[in-house]
Amino acid sequence: MKGTQSIDPHTSSESNYRGGSAAREVELIARIANGDRKAFEELYGLYHRRLARFLTRLTKRYDVAEEVINDTFYIVWRKAGDFRGDSQPSTWILGIAYRKARNAFRSSSRILAMENPEAPPPPLTSEESLKTEELRDWLVHALVQLPVEQRLAVELCYELGYSCEEISSIMSCPVNTVKTRLFHARAKLQRLLPALGGIAPTDGGVRGSSRGKG
Amino acid sequence: MIASGDPASHEGAWLALPWLANGRLSQAERDKIEPHVRECAECREELAFQRLLCNALTEPDRVTYAPGPSFRKLMDRIDGAGQQSRKATEPNSKTLATLVPRPSSRSRRWSSLEVWRPPGLAWAASFVLMVGLAAVFTTANRSAPAPDAPVYRTHTDTPAPAPNVLHIIFQGSLTISEAEQVLRSSGAHIVEGPDGQGIFGVAPGASGSNNATPSRTTRELNVLWARLHTDPRVRWVEPVPGEYSAGAAEAPGPRGP
Repeated sequence: MKGTQSIDPHTSSESNYRGGSAAREVELIARIANGDRKAFEELYGLYHRRLARFLTRLTKRYDVAEEVINDTFYIVWRKAGDFRGDSQPSTWILGIAYRKARNAFRSSSRILAMENPEAPPPPLTSEESLKTEELRDWLVHALVQLPVEQRLAVELCYELGYSCEEISSIMSCPVNTVKTRLFHARAKLQRLLPALGGIAPTDGGVRGSSRGKG
Repeated sequence: MIASGDPASHEGAWLALPWLANGRLSQAERDKIEPHVRECAECREELAFQRLLCNALTEPDRVTYAPGPSFRKLMDRIDGAGQQSRKATEPNSKTLATLVPRPSSRSRRWSSLEVWRPPGLAWAASFVLMVGLAAVFTTANRSAPAPDAPVYRTHTDTPAPAPNVLHIIFQGSLTISEAEQVLRSSGAHIVEGPDGQGIFGVAPGASGSNNATPSRTTRELNVLWARLHTDPRVRWVEPVPGEYSAGAAEAPGPRGP
C-alpha cells in the first residue's frame, strides 16, 4: 500500500527542553565550578525529574534512583570545572548518570532485588484512553527482561529522546553498537509485547529481522 | 553484528526508525529515509509501533518526585565531605602553636587594648538605654487600648485554608507500580512529596484535576481516607492537621502501623 502519510517527527518535551536550555546549563555549570550553590540547586532541579523517572522505571525503586542521581550530581559538583563544553551539558550529565546507573544495576544484590519477577500488570483493555497508560505498564514489565545496556538504550532513545550520536556519547560506545543494542531490544520487545497485550503484529517472527541483520 | 546500512535501503531505514519516531534525525537523514518508509508497509508498521513506544514512555508520570529532600541529602553529603577534607588538611593546633610566634608582652598589651572600652562610653551607653526604656514605658501606657477599643488581631488569627491533602506512607515492600495501582484504584493522585521520611501528599481525583469545591473536596477526602485506611498496602494515612473540620466524625484519626 502506498502511503502518503506525513512522517512528522515525534517531538518530545525533552527535545524542546534541550533546545532552549543548553546555553543556560553551560552558564550554570560555570557558576557551579565557582562553588555557586544556587546554580547547583537549579541544575539539580532541571534534571531530577527526568532522571528520577528514567531510573525508577529501570530500578523500580526510588531509593536506588535517588542514590544514582545524587552520585551523579556529586560528580557534577566536583568536576564542573572540568566541563569544557565539548559536548552538550545534558550529554555530559547523562553520561555520568549512565555509568553510575550501570554500576548500580550490576551490584549483585540489587540485580536480585530489581529483576525479581513480579506479577505482570492486568491485560490491556480496549478502552483507548487507558491504552497508553496500560501499555506503559506492560513496557515497564517487558523492559526489566532486557539486558541492562539494551534497557538503557531504549530509555535514552524513546523516553529521553536522544539522537543516536548522543546515545553513543553517553554510553561511550560506537554508533553502530547503539543501533545493534536497539535492534535487539526492539526485537525482544516485539516478541514480548504481542503476547502481553496484542498491540503489535503476532506473525511469529520479528519484523525486519531477516533483512535487518547484517 | 548489525550493518549500519545505506539509510535509503530497507536495512538502513529499519535501523534508523527509532530516531525517526523520536524526531531526532537530521533533515538530510529524513530526506533519505522517508521515501523508503512511505513505500514500505513493513517500515510504516514498525514506525507506528516505535511511535507507540515513544508515546507510552513519554506519558506524564502518575508519581512524580520532589527534588527538595534528595537535594538536601546531597548537600549534607557534600558539606560532610568538605568538613572531612578540611579536617584532613588542617594542621592540628599544637603544630600551629609551634609555628606561630608567641606575642611579645608589648603586642599582648595592644591586643588587650582592642577589647577595652573607656568607662565614659559605657556610662553614655547606659544613659541612652535608660532614656530609651523610659520612652517606651511612657508610650506603652499612653497607647493602652480603652476597654471598648477593638482588639488588635494578627493575620495568623484567621485559620489557614484547608490544604485538602492526605498524608500517606506506603508499605516499604511496595514497588512504584504497585503504589500507582493503589492510588489509581482509590481515585487519588500525588500532589506533593515524598519528603525525607517517604511521606506523600495525595488528593482525590485524577492528576491535574482542580475543580473541586471545598464541601465536595471534604466529602471526597473522607471517602478517600476511608478507602486508603483499609488498604493493607498502606502503612499509614493521616489527614493534614486542620482538615476534616466539617467531617471529623467520619475521620477518626490516622491509621497507624
